[in-house]
Amino acid sequence: MSKRQWLWSIRLGAIALLLSFGATSAESALQINSDTTCMKCHKRNGQMLGHHGQDAMKMTCSTCHGEKGDHPKKPNDIVVFGMKDGSELDTQLAVCHKCHTQRKLGETEWTHNVHAQKVPCAACHKLHSPTEPMADMTPKVRSELCRNCHSGQ
Amino acid sequence: MENSKRRFLKGTCALFAGATGASLLATVNASEGAKAESDIKYAMIHDETKCIGCRACEVACRETNQVPEGVSRVRIEQTGPFGEYPNEYYHFSRVSCQHCEDAPCVNVCPTGAAFIEKETGIVSVNAWKCVGCQYCIAACPYKIRFINPVTHAADKCDFCRETNLAQGKQPACVEACPTKALVFGNLKDPTSELVQVLRANPTQRAKVALGTRPKLFRILAKSGEVIL
Repeated sequence: MSKRQWLWSIRLGAIALLLSFGATSAESALQINSDTTCMKCHKRNGQMLGHHGQDAMKMTCSTCHGEKGDHPKKPNDIVVFGMKDGSELDTQLAVCHKCHTQRKLGETEWTHNVHAQKVPCAACHKLHSPTEPMADMTPKVRSELCRNCHSGQ
Repeated sequence: MENSKRRFLKGTCALFAGATGASLLATVNASEGAKAESDIKYAMIHDETKCIGCRACEVACRETNQVPEGVSRVRIEQTGPFGEYPNEYYHFSRVSCQHCEDAPCVNVCPTGAAFIEKETGIVSVNAWKCVGCQYCIAACPYKIRFINPVTHAADKCDFCRETNLAQGKQPACVEACPTKALVFGNLKDPTSELVQVLRANPTQRAKVALGTRPKLFRILAKSGEVIL
């Protein structure tokens, strides 16, 4: 690789780095994101921009993720949400079920009933992102979501 | 004189014999030709034990056949929940044209717009012949016909006769189904997957008592959900 190409790749890298900093430094005014204990390390991956982060709900990181405990040492009791590398299924479900009753979930959307106690909520729902991917889905996006798991039968 | 009379009679007889033989041959050939034409009889199976209610079939059909919003050629009807939490389940059944062999919609159509394609047994609509009188909609015992708001003609599932089938592909709903709950194929081909599945499973058809001889088979569901 020539010197010129190297220089270009370094420049591009620098621009990308600046852009990413720029994106994260857009401070969110929400109360939940001023939790310095968590934000010291999780400023980039921990910003809470979704519905659950609104001030009126008075939620903190620990409301869902549990008390800090030994974290960041491992093992710890922090609840991690997700399909693949999340905490135990029961642990994840218990957190959401503190507020969301199964009956109401089932009434709102039938798919809650058939996935009950089989899939963590975070398999479909994303709470940190400013937009909830499950809201206002087109029929096509919805069927694609089913296909992600229910294929090759 | 005697001789010429005999020759005339001989010749006439020969001519008759030849003509009869030729016409016989022609009819045999024709019937063979007709047989070759009707070697295909398309049918579909909806395996409700495999259906998860994702409605990918509805979406694919709408896209492939340019079905406008508000009407649909195929619909998944959902019933439930059954069972107790956390093991609740639903039943899904396909609502679409059954491609009857004795189709009431075709029988009542005054213009011949509704027809059964001889080669495939597909019940279809010639949109340009349809005057929109809606007799077919009233006559269909499965209530699957509708007036297409764009063409103003009666419309319904035609197994993608003009779209996917014409391109040598399976119907859009069959291709889209993630769990392979839909099987499409030729009833007259004993090696086809359709026939194999029909032989291996108890199936049901809707309103058989009416004598419409529908060709949409369903494998009844015990549980509507695939176990993860």
